Amino acid sequence: MSELVDAIANIKEDEVLRMVRHRLEVGEEPIALLEECRAGMGIVGERFEKGEYFLGELIMSGEIFKQAMSFIEPKLTGDVRSETIGQVIMGTVKGDIHSIGKDIVTGLLRMSGFEVFDLGADVAPEAFVEKLVESGAPILGMSALITPSFESMKNTVTAIEKRGIRDRVKVIIGGGIVIEQVKRYVGADAFTRDGAEGVKICKEFIRKANK
Amino acid sequence: MIEETMTPQERVQAAINLEVPDRVPVLPMQTYYFACRHKGLDGYQMVKERERALQAHLEVYDELGGFDGQVIPGISFIFPPRISGIIAEPLYKVPGVDLPRDSILQHDEREILLPEDYDLIADLGWNAFAEKYYSKFNPRPAQKILEWGERQTARYIADIRVWNEHGVPVYKGGEVFSPLMFFSMFRTLQQFTFDLYRRPDRVQAAMDALVEDFIQDAIEEVKLTGQTWVMLVLERGGCFYYPVKIFERFEWKYIKKMTKAWVEQGITPLLHLDQDWTLNLPYFRDLPKGCICEFDSCTDIFKAKEILGGKQCIMGDVRASLQTHGTPEEVEEYCTQLIDVVGKGGGFILSSGCFVPVDAKFENVKAMIHCAKTHAPAQ
Repeated sequence: MSELVDAIANIKEDEVLRMVRHRLEVGEEPIALLEECRAGMGIVGERFEKGEYFLGELIMSGEIFKQAMSFIEPKLTGDVRSETIGQVIMGTVKGDIHSIGKDIVTGLLRMSGFEVFDLGADVAPEAFVEKLVESGAPILGMSALITPSFESMKNTVTAIEKRGIRDRVKVIIGGGIVIEQVKRYVGADAFTRDGAEGVKICKEFIRKANK
Repeated sequence: MIEETMTPQERVQAAINLEVPDRVPVLPMQTYYFACRHKGLDGYQMVKERERALQAHLEVYDELGGFDGQVIPGISFIFPPRISGIIAEPLYKVPGVDLPRDSILQHDEREILLPEDYDLIADLGWNAFAEKYYSKFNPRPAQKILEWGERQTARYIADIRVWNEHGVPVYKGGEVFSPLMFFSMFRTLQQFTFDLYRRPDRVQAAMDALVEDFIQDAIEEVKLTGQTWVMLVLERGGCFYYPVKIFERFEWKYIKKMTKAWVEQGITPLLHLDQDWTLNLPYFRDLPKGCICEFDSCTDIFKAKEILGGKQCIMGDVRASLQTHGTPEEVEEYCTQLIDVVGKGGGFILSSGCFVPVDAKFENVKAMIHCAKTHAPAQ
């Protein structure tokens, strides 16, 4: 493991930024630094899945990565996007302004190689549908903290059905209060109260779709 | 029905004392929104039409067959009569004002405090800081803020009187945030997390300076209302958010200090533990006797019984979504399990996980209450 990977994995902000700046100054390839940063973030994700890291480490590592990218990105040339596992549309549903749960899963999905379109909080069903159509993403993740949001989730699934794309979109709902009965009510394909489990479910969706 | 030989207060106090009451007490938390919705009021009416909402709340309490009291009598706040106490309450978005009319009150988390404020609070203490810089929190003139706070407290006390006249005890007399919860709400979760890594000593210094003012606020609120429970609002310091080393330094230290001070004053601390605290449970064994640990269904309440049984009173935790989308049979099955396992040997209060949601099914809330009145813990 390189020093940079290790510093990101261990949430050492000052060290990461010092190394990134120095290595760019001495002419190292920015793409190599980008890959090391991503590797460090991958380790953070793994440690979160194992229960060694908590939300605080996810938030802080995300911030460190963002800052490192602010130095690396201007030096990159051409299309440097890595292969992604798949695309996911994420958002907190209409009527609910909470975004913590949605942000956790979004961060974990990105660390696991997904391309995520984060639509934010208080997202209307039509906005989810439009993004699904525009992007062709096969997965929709909807988050909620409060029980009235289940109605918005259901309305979103209905809107997807009306648009005729339900058979190509897997829907996963999440939040600390979600249970099997809510999944059935909403018409979702899966539910989770755990961010790491949510990533596994999304990977399984992709694996089955690629069969 | 189990034969009742205790008053609701005696039953609840027996649970707090870790004794075996005549039956498991049941205290659904914050039934106001649910009751109002059940009677056809929308979110705006719940907030603005006070008399009508209170009437709905009373009627639904009776239709449910009554329970062992109201922890929270309505939606008014209790404040000590000074700016610092009033502005420590987070900001809300209001139905019909900031949100659709049929929505519910939701926290409006914004970055009100800045990193440099840690130093100011550390130097001045919370009360003096707040008196000087209150406009950060609320742009209205000081006198208006004070008048609003007085009206809120007067309404809270009036609600207590109405419930008492209805023969129903009310328990909560004060409410404050832990220092961590406070800073997390007023810096935002993200910025506060950055602070814990970038400027931990400054955060701790501010918390050290603020905690005594929060302790005294709660004591003063209890004196104003005459009710002896203080709700300590906790969510952001547990193992869902941070590793134990952060919990120890920035949360546990203050929880211990606050609960100790309150218990010495004859106050019952109600630790409102939202989100997952399972890994933190062993610490709570060292709380002073006489606290209530209230869980919202994210913490493993059965593990809590294993760890805290015989040490602390446990309260909870019928999940909000089970109340909204479960069946009465499913609610009863879960409550039976809670009573049998967590209620065994006493020290348990059956309750909703966090609050009763606005859209809970009436028959599900009734099933929770009925289960406490009819099912004795398995021996």
